[in-house]
Amino acid sequence: MIAPLPRLHAVTDDRVVAAGGVAGRAAVLAAAAGPELAVHVRSRVLGGAALLDVARAVGAALAPHGSWLVVNGRADVARAAGARALQLGRGGLAVPDVRRVAPGLAVGRSVHDAAEARAAAAEGADYLVAGPLFATASHPGEPAAGPALLRDAAAAGLPVVAIGGLAPGTARAALDAGAWGVAAVRALWDAPDPVAAARAFLAVLPATPAVAVVVNGESRTVAEGTTLRGLLEQLGLDPRAVVVEHNRHIVRRDALDTARLAAGDAVELVHFVGGG
Amino acid sequence: MATAVTESVFQDTPLVVGGRSFRSRLLVGTGKYKDNATMVRALDASGAEVVTVAVRRISLDRTKEEGILYHLDPGRFFLLANTAGCYTAEDAVRYARLAREAGFNEFIKLEVIGDQKTLLPDVAGLLEAARTLVKEGFQVMAYTNEDLVTALRLEEAGCAAVMPLASPIGSGLGLLNPYSIRTIKSRLSVPVIVDAGVGTASDACVTMEQGVDGLLMNTAIAEARDPVAMARAMRLATEAGRAAVLAGRMPRREVAVPSSPATGMLS
Repeated sequence: MIAPLPRLHAVTDDRVVAAGGVAGRAAVLAAAAGPELAVHVRSRVLGGAALLDVARAVGAALAPHGSWLVVNGRADVARAAGARALQLGRGGLAVPDVRRVAPGLAVGRSVHDAAEARAAAAEGADYLVAGPLFATASHPGEPAAGPALLRDAAAAGLPVVAIGGLAPGTARAALDAGAWGVAAVRALWDAPDPVAAARAFLAVLPATPAVAVVVNGESRTVAEGTTLRGLLEQLGLDPRAVVVEHNRHIVRRDALDTARLAAGDAVELVHFVGGG
Repeated sequence: MATAVTESVFQDTPLVVGGRSFRSRLLVGTGKYKDNATMVRALDASGAEVVTVAVRRISLDRTKEEGILYHLDPGRFFLLANTAGCYTAEDAVRYARLAREAGFNEFIKLEVIGDQKTLLPDVAGLLEAARTLVKEGFQVMAYTNEDLVTALRLEEAGCAAVMPLASPIGSGLGLLNPYSIRTIKSRLSVPVIVDAGVGTASDACVTMEQGVDGLLMNTAIAEARDPVAMARAMRLATEAGRAAVLAGRMPRREVAVPSSPATGMLS
């Protein structure tokens, strides 16, 4: 995973999805948080096609802001929707199998204890979502694991996103315990002012500045310092299938990891098409 | 008994351009086909080894279909990238460099267009781009007009081949100025490959009969009702025209000369 993992994850559940207008609400959050935000599309009841519709709509809303679309559970839906990452829960596919189905996706695993965290790292996951940190209505009856879980999970060597009853006030504690970022359901989707809630979280989280660049003539927001390889990853493009021009200079394939994007950069991604 | 279409009608020397050798003198474009399957079958029927491709932005909507290279095996076809759509030398050079970066070869079919309606070349821009690209090590195959002097300048600039048009791109008007094409061929040392304007088989045959080294066409095949059949016809026509040149045609005469003996007539 080359591009930086967002630090604020807005996770949906069936209640949020059923309420409707997820894409519009995601757009509002994305406008406020840009590449700092990942929106997880998650459902236990929707079938593949319905989930794909939601994922695509959310993805389209997020794209101009550089926010990540993460699909939970369904590798096929994640790939078809052009998601940046797949989030695997208990009983989900093994990471190597996901890479067979959907190469190019970042893969996150949800973990609940140190053993699961180590297993996920050994398997090749790109990041972890660890929780529930505090008691949460999203998982009633499940004991809160507390900050110790975060320390154990962070020890596995992957970025850890804390989940479970997080609010801006408790985000600081999560970071101090070793979290890379935080995930929330109610604190974002149920907030009377979601933008204010997002901003309150971001004020506590370390910042990765976002910049506006132009890619194939279209304006996009990316995390400052994103490499060209990271940009291709974000766009789901295979470096072998495109030629990259960065500010009118051609970037060779072996330089894609070192060339970084700055504000106002223009990137052209070209390939061969039929012609006479 | 009909000869199988896949057999060549005669033995010929290869077409050599920029140090590369090709068996087929028919070069075919990959644009405007109604679908990739038809394109592949038509290219196959044409016997072409060199196919042209254009350089364009990739679609960022990942649900679009896979790129053309999925359908064109670079191991089987020689991909000749073009600078179609470029109106300035600067643009053409930019596109040529991008095409070369794709990593297939150092050849470029250079087009610098001067007029949108006729797609005739901008000669000044064309010469400037050719000189720049030759200096950068490209094998430049330059699409040009019927003017001998321009053709000579392109050769002097170091182009690997000069490609005068038969008639405007996509017009299907065939060979409008045989004298000019013959003149260019008689004066240049680099290969002369006629590009643009061929419409049907007889055009291909007549053009090859001027003695040129090869032929490039796209629309004539792609816009035929049956592109695969037309590709086959073009293959035969290109070979027939070439064979006729090598066979050495009879002279043209202003008076008739009988074919049957004058003696032994009944009294």
